[in-house]
Amino acid sequence: MATTPIPLEVRNIKKRFGETEVLKGLSLQAHKGDVITLIGASGSGKSTFLRCMNLLEQPDEGDLIVHGEEVRFKTTKRGREPADWKQVVRMRARLSMVFQSFNLWAHMTLLENIIEAPIYVLGKPKREAIEHANALLERVGLSHRADAYPAQMSGGQQQRGAIARALAMDPEVMLFDEPTSALDPELVGDVLKVMHDLADEGRTMIVVTHEMSFARDVSSQVIYLHQGLVEESGAPADVLGNPQSPRLKQFLAPKY
Amino acid sequence: MLDLHGYGPRLLEGAGVTISLALLALALAIVLGLVTASAKMSRSWLAHHIATFYTTVIRGVPDLVLMMLLFFGGQIGVNVITDFLYYEFDIDIFININAFVAGVVTIGLIFGAYMGETFRGAFMAVDQGQIEAGKAYGMSDALVFRRIRFPQMMRHALPGLSNNWMVLLKTTALVSVIGLSDMVRIAAEASKATREPFIFMMTVAVIYLLIASVSEWMFARLQKRYNIGYGEAD
Repeated sequence: MATTPIPLEVRNIKKRFGETEVLKGLSLQAHKGDVITLIGASGSGKSTFLRCMNLLEQPDEGDLIVHGEEVRFKTTKRGREPADWKQVVRMRARLSMVFQSFNLWAHMTLLENIIEAPIYVLGKPKREAIEHANALLERVGLSHRADAYPAQMSGGQQQRGAIARALAMDPEVMLFDEPTSALDPELVGDVLKVMHDLADEGRTMIVVTHEMSFARDVSSQVIYLHQGLVEESGAPADVLGNPQSPRLKQFLAPKY
Repeated sequence: MLDLHGYGPRLLEGAGVTISLALLALALAIVLGLVTASAKMSRSWLAHHIATFYTTVIRGVPDLVLMMLLFFGGQIGVNVITDFLYYEFDIDIFININAFVAGVVTIGLIFGAYMGETFRGAFMAVDQGQIEAGKAYGMSDALVFRRIRFPQMMRHALPGLSNNWMVLLKTTALVSVIGLSDMVRIAAEASKATREPFIFMMTVAVIYLLIASVSEWMFARLQKRYNIGYGEAD
């Protein structure tokens, strides 16, 4: 019987910046429909870990398997690099990332942002891409902003637009890098609601976040990182409800 | 009424030479500038040093010296090669360096070095997050360049580019020393023949000013186009 491959698997990822080892061997498996949240203090390596998953950072060691296809690496003078950039391009198109600072392309309207990669990377016909984009804009409540440029939109609108851009790729896994950290408090709710809906419809998501309520209510697995290692991992009820390590207890304790 | 003593059509021809020379040199300078900027930003030691050598030499030697070096020196170089081919292999060819081509190449080479610096600064001004977003969505480096880096870089490059163009335009006047009949040379000839330098130099000045005004208008339009999405503030 044919089984569908696991959307994303990473094994024993290590990464150092100069003398500092920021990731000391991290692994993770995202099955279809999983919502995995990565939590931890700043400097724990959670964003770097996420960025290794789509190779915005090159891991020094470890394996990366996207949809059953293992990414090949080679070692050069400069260190370890992917052996085949075409493979990287292909695998990145299966994962889409939502950034902390949105990173919508500033010289394009919201609609142009959303259809860009589907047309130029996936080779979708323009009309089809626009239809899909309009449906996605409706979903995230931004139909009226289709022709606006990012600079004309609020942070919350930009981030919801960025989520629509990510969805337009029909990604197998969505990577969220602290999607609400750059937002004014009153705008966080709208973005979280969109993410909540995505989880409900069975999207596979990996989310780096400081929003503990999101981690508790939405995720299927919570991973607590400390200094580049997994300190605790499991169901949110266990990890967040009944933390074992003193550090996690302290991390979760009210700060005021 | 302005009396050009029958030199009007020749002056217009000269203006045509000036304009086509300037435009071709601009195209060459832009290509060289992009290559130089990429080389300077590349991780390759060799590319970086070749580009640095190029910009240092070009920016350190007067334009006029470079032009004569390339035109007269270039002809000697070509002759040495054709002589060698004739004596060694019995291949008889004669290549005469064309003054127009020499002008385009020299001015293009000179301004390529300045454009390189303009483009390098402009590329560095593009927000890294914009490029990462392109990569994260599966774009190849070439696609990221074409769709994101280049259009965003242009916004920062245009003020420097238009400045370089204005200087380039005036530098074309130097080609008269290598015998090219541009507008300035024809005006100089006409001044001598008619002893009316004021009329001819004034005419030439007005034509230069006219070209410059049209260019400014065009650059303003380009600036508007590449500023799209960034608001009116800058």
